[in-house]
Amino acid sequence: MNPRASIWLKTVYARTWVRTKSIYGEPLWVAVNVGFPFFTSLALSLLYSSAGLKSGIGFAFLGGVMVSFWGNVLWSMASQFNWDKQQGLFELYITSPAPISAILIGMSLGGILGTAPSAITLAIVGWILFAPPANPLWPLVAVTFALTLASLYAMGMALSSLYLVYGREADSVNEALHEPVSFLSGVYFPASLAFPAVLQAIALVIPLAVGMDALQRTLFSLNSTGVADLTLVYRDILLLAIMGITLLFAASKALKILEEKGRRAGTIAVRLR
Amino acid sequence: MSYVRSLVASIRVGWSRDFGWTNPILGFSLKTIAPIASTMTALTILYIGFKNGASIASAQFPFLLGYIVIGATLYAHISAYSWVPTLAIAEGKWTFVFPQVYVSTRSSPPYLAGRCLASFFSSTVTSMASLVVAVVISLYLFGVAIPLVITPLSLFLFGIALVVNIFASMGLGFLLGAYAIFASKFEWALPTYVSGLLMVFSEALFPVTSLPHPFSDIGNVLPFTEFIRASRAVLLQGSVGSYVYYLGMSFIGGIMLLVLGLLAFKYAERRARRLGVLDRKVV
Repeated sequence: MNPRASIWLKTVYARTWVRTKSIYGEPLWVAVNVGFPFFTSLALSLLYSSAGLKSGIGFAFLGGVMVSFWGNVLWSMASQFNWDKQQGLFELYITSPAPISAILIGMSLGGILGTAPSAITLAIVGWILFAPPANPLWPLVAVTFALTLASLYAMGMALSSLYLVYGREADSVNEALHEPVSFLSGVYFPASLAFPAVLQAIALVIPLAVGMDALQRTLFSLNSTGVADLTLVYRDILLLAIMGITLLFAASKALKILEEKGRRAGTIAVRLR
Repeated sequence: MSYVRSLVASIRVGWSRDFGWTNPILGFSLKTIAPIASTMTALTILYIGFKNGASIASAQFPFLLGYIVIGATLYAHISAYSWVPTLAIAEGKWTFVFPQVYVSTRSSPPYLAGRCLASFFSSTVTSMASLVVAVVISLYLFGVAIPLVITPLSLFLFGIALVVNIFASMGLGFLLGAYAIFASKFEWALPTYVSGLLMVFSEALFPVTSLPHPFSDIGNVLPFTEFIRASRAVLLQGSVGSYVYYLGMSFIGGIMLLVLGLLAFKYAERRARRLGVLDRKVV
């Protein structure tokens, strides 16, 4: 095998392994990670119930599942290099022959594998507690879910290169992004039932919004006939694929530019700014 | 007197930590966006329920929007500052600030109380801003004016309620802080658990009576529930009698929680000093 490809794959494997091990080596993390999305989903399910729309409970728990991944993208992808920089790990990355892109891909795969247990636990608990009505088209659900995660984590990679430039701002920006993006994406409710067309169109630039729309349509058949509008689902799938590729390309480019700039200015490993 | 000086200095440290990295307007704006979004999420779900469900009458809808806008905003306010002692300890261990605080005797409670108060002041501003913005957005998005009772008296009474709730939130903060002294892994997650529990049990989004027993009884006696009820009584119903009753309950519960929190924190700090784990970062 080409030595560069070999190093790249080994780096991906190593970074994935570390991240996965950090979760599976301490099973209590699953219980810890499931806490906030569970209580939020529970509270919003009870709100759906008290508003006389028990059929909406599925949206609340699907939202909880996807918020687990969205939180992971923000806090464990976007901010990770910034934290690594604070702890002196980033210097090791840039002085080693390991490609940064491989480290990011490994972080993403590890993040998905590490978040999966808490997301699955949440889905199972939601199902046991409320048994929300669903009419899933499983093959489309699987494709949509995979593409949503791919484009979300690609966005995380793009953000991580951007956050590398920032110092303490990164945490505040993360805190400011988490809820508004969840709201605009209609994570806990179908945006098509609540937002005007203009707002829905604006939200289509967010991978999470497109993914949520497709997941809600394929899992709960979002219309009065009880059959999902497949044209819109295919539109969403196409958009997600385009976003995933574009963001991956943008992340790689941005990282190269910022790494080069940081090396020249001598600021790449500066911890506090 | 030294307590007051420590408290004031800690408030300044808290503000410096929260806003020192940028200008105050940007800092406040970034902190306001999240509560607006979470409040709007709850309001949107109610709107979808109103449009597609059968249990909300048209006349009832504006009142319910008001019920949720107050509950969701105040829940975010409570969450924002009750976890600050945990943050101050956990973050302080990593940045070596906390070891410098506890080396002097009896200095950590005023430090944590000061950090909590700093966060209370900034969270009050952001929560009120998010309440106003959520009311305006509801008007444009749902076409409904939320019938809030805004008079000098109601605002004054609401201001008192905010101050009274400090006891309960600070008490909860000290309780969490007692755990954070010993923890070196899960302390970051604990406040999110408590925050999630509060969302369910503090009547932020729905009456606690809709929870099964004994959960409804637990929610019913929490000082946070009484605080949110008192705020709704004065801002939504204009009922001063109910306000006084709920605020009295919130005050009594808050004092009890604060005493419990301080005792737990004192015990934890003494034990941690004895065991030599006050600055332990990793297990």
